[in-house]
Amino acid sequence: MRREPKATSKSKATVLGSEDSFRMLVEGVTDYAIVMLDPEGHVVSWNPGAERIKGYTRDEIVGKHFSCFYPPEAIKRGVPEKELKAAIKHGRFEDEGWRVRKDGKQFWASVVISALRDKAGKLRGFAKVTRELTERRRNEEQIRILNEQQQTILDASPTMIFYKDRENRFIRVNESFARANGRSKEEMEGKTCWDIYPRETADNYWQDDKEVMSTGQPKLDIVERMETQKGTMYVQSDKIPYRDLEGNVIGVIGFTLDITGRKQAEERIQQQSREIMELSTPVMQVWQGVVVAPLIGSLDSQRTQQFMERLLDRIVETNSPVALVDIMGVPTVDTQTAQHLIETVAAVRLLGAQVVLTGVRPAIAQTLVHLGIDLSGIITRSSLSAGLLVAFEVLNLQVVSKSASR
Amino acid sequence: MNDLQQGEFPIESENDIVSARRLVRNAAVAAGFGLTDVTRIVTAASELTRNIYVHAKSGVMRWRFLKSESKVGLELTFEDSGLGIPNVAKAMEAGYSTGNGLGMGLPGAKRLTDEMTVHSEVGKGTTVVVRKWLTK
Amino acid sequence: MSAESISVIKLRGLLLVTVPADPDDRTVSALQERVLEAMAEHESGGLVLDISTVQTLDSFFARTVVETVQMVSLMGGRTVLAGMRANVAVTVTQLGLSMGNTLTALDVDRAIDMLNAEASKGLRV
Repeated sequence: MRREPKATSKSKATVLGSEDSFRMLVEGVTDYAIVMLDPEGHVVSWNPGAERIKGYTRDEIVGKHFSCFYPPEAIKRGVPEKELKAAIKHGRFEDEGWRVRKDGKQFWASVVISALRDKAGKLRGFAKVTRELTERRRNEEQIRILNEQQQTILDASPTMIFYKDRENRFIRVNESFARANGRSKEEMEGKTCWDIYPRETADNYWQDDKEVMSTGQPKLDIVERMETQKGTMYVQSDKIPYRDLEGNVIGVIGFTLDITGRKQAEERIQQQSREIMELSTPVMQVWQGVVVAPLIGSLDSQRTQQFMERLLDRIVETNSPVALVDIMGVPTVDTQTAQHLIETVAAVRLLGAQVVLTGVRPAIAQTLVHLGIDLSGIITRSSLSAGLLVAFEVLNLQVVSKSASR
Repeated sequence: MNDLQQGEFPIESENDIVSARRLVRNAAVAAGFGLTDVTRIVTAASELTRNIYVHAKSGVMRWRFLKSESKVGLELTFEDSGLGIPNVAKAMEAGYSTGNGLGMGLPGAKRLTDEMTVHSEVGKGTTVVVRKWLTK
Repeated sequence: MSAESISVIKLRGLLLVTVPADPDDRTVSALQERVLEAMAEHESGGLVLDISTVQTLDSFFARTVVETVQMVSLMGGRTVLAGMRANVAVTVTQLGLSMGNTLTALDVDRAIDMLNAEASKGLRV
């Protein structure tokens, strides 16, 4: 059983001449067009592959000039002749380009033309092998277009966008990002963060990148500084994992917004509100042992906190046993505000001083009672002058009219 | 490894409460906090280290600077493997109304800091993290 | 800071106790002992607790102080807490601690004046 096929193949090999077997091979190939041309370029032989790819039957095409496979403009430019000449000169010519089928449709072809010579070196013709690569060509074209479109979109985006690989290298950046860094896209791509930013900053960025890559989770709203050739800017970044088709994380994609303007505005506002707060809560010593703090505007927790600290500091500095806190300029007193005032009074008491709450207007008195806020532990007066009298009493002082004393 | 910016300190005896207070004070001053905030942070640390000593006998305190572009802060972590707190929400209220005495630890520390998280498992232990931010 | 270093000074019929800056819990407890012993020994009518060097007043410390004030009161004495720092006062208040009706004074001078004034008013119930 095992010997028999061997014997058969051997006998076939003997039966068939090498020319026959070569013909069979060429006949059997359907993926390639294998065509023989005479020295002038007329088709001499035609295989089924050629028929499949180019659409002509053997009878239709044998004897025709091979230039009919080329688009008209290529013929006009003399391409077929040039290719043959090149094949003659170099023995072989390779090319990729558009060719024409019998039905006029074009296809993308990879072509190899080899010059065939006899033993004496005389040109006998050409062997032309053609592969159809339209599908591949289309895919490549599609990818190129998609890529270009993507880059167009990326570059049009005001958001700075970058792709980085696992080695911290920029693979792709958009125009906004490059411009913000004062570099060209080409200058940035292929470089690492460490090549571009100061060490510490780059390390910080890399920390976030590593976190995103190891967890596979986006990291959002990272507010940080970016040192560029154009100076320092504040940025807010979102980083998401960059995955391949299988879902493996191969890097990070970052979206970064320049928030420098916003940041500066915020800082200005903070600075101003600090100044306003200081202005609006002065603590003045009006007499040896008496400080007055007029409160103006509404009181939130933060403001009360700062007011309390300032008041206590001033009481200690001036060694004042009495502090008059005037709330004439406070528009409304709610439960929260009252709570803050009660706390302030308690803290002042711990120091060994007393608060007299003055400027309690009728409306505020009504509100306090209606809200059920108990200020009974606190000395309150309707006016600052009435409060000052309490202070004098605490200090054991008496105000005497000059005329009365005479 | 310990420096002003980060470190850890074991809480094993009553004396360690005082040492912990000093470490936290130095760190808070180095972080740039003002005197009142330093006092708040140190007082919170005192409450929380005493919690460890009283309820779990031993544990560890860690501190580290927090840095983001917009703010700077200090984070303190108090970790023990004691009995744990059965009802964290309740522990957070306790003592507030009575005004003094025991049970001020957690709610007091929360009021003195800007952020506090308590993670506790009965029989496993408790981790308390507090953060104080420095408003520039 | 050891318990032995707490100084109790007798001054014109009053006791002046300087509380150490950063005492451990044992020292805080010892302070209470020492104060009560001295009260009994000198039959003093008034006590000034000078806390002007205290940097941290946590709940344990505050509770001990309030307890001591109550105990001194039971023994017929009046206590004034003198010289609490501003930052400590803010913190204690924010912590939610109440020092009860404990008398306070800006400094030791004023505390002594207060106690003398109280004494001149005569017997307190």
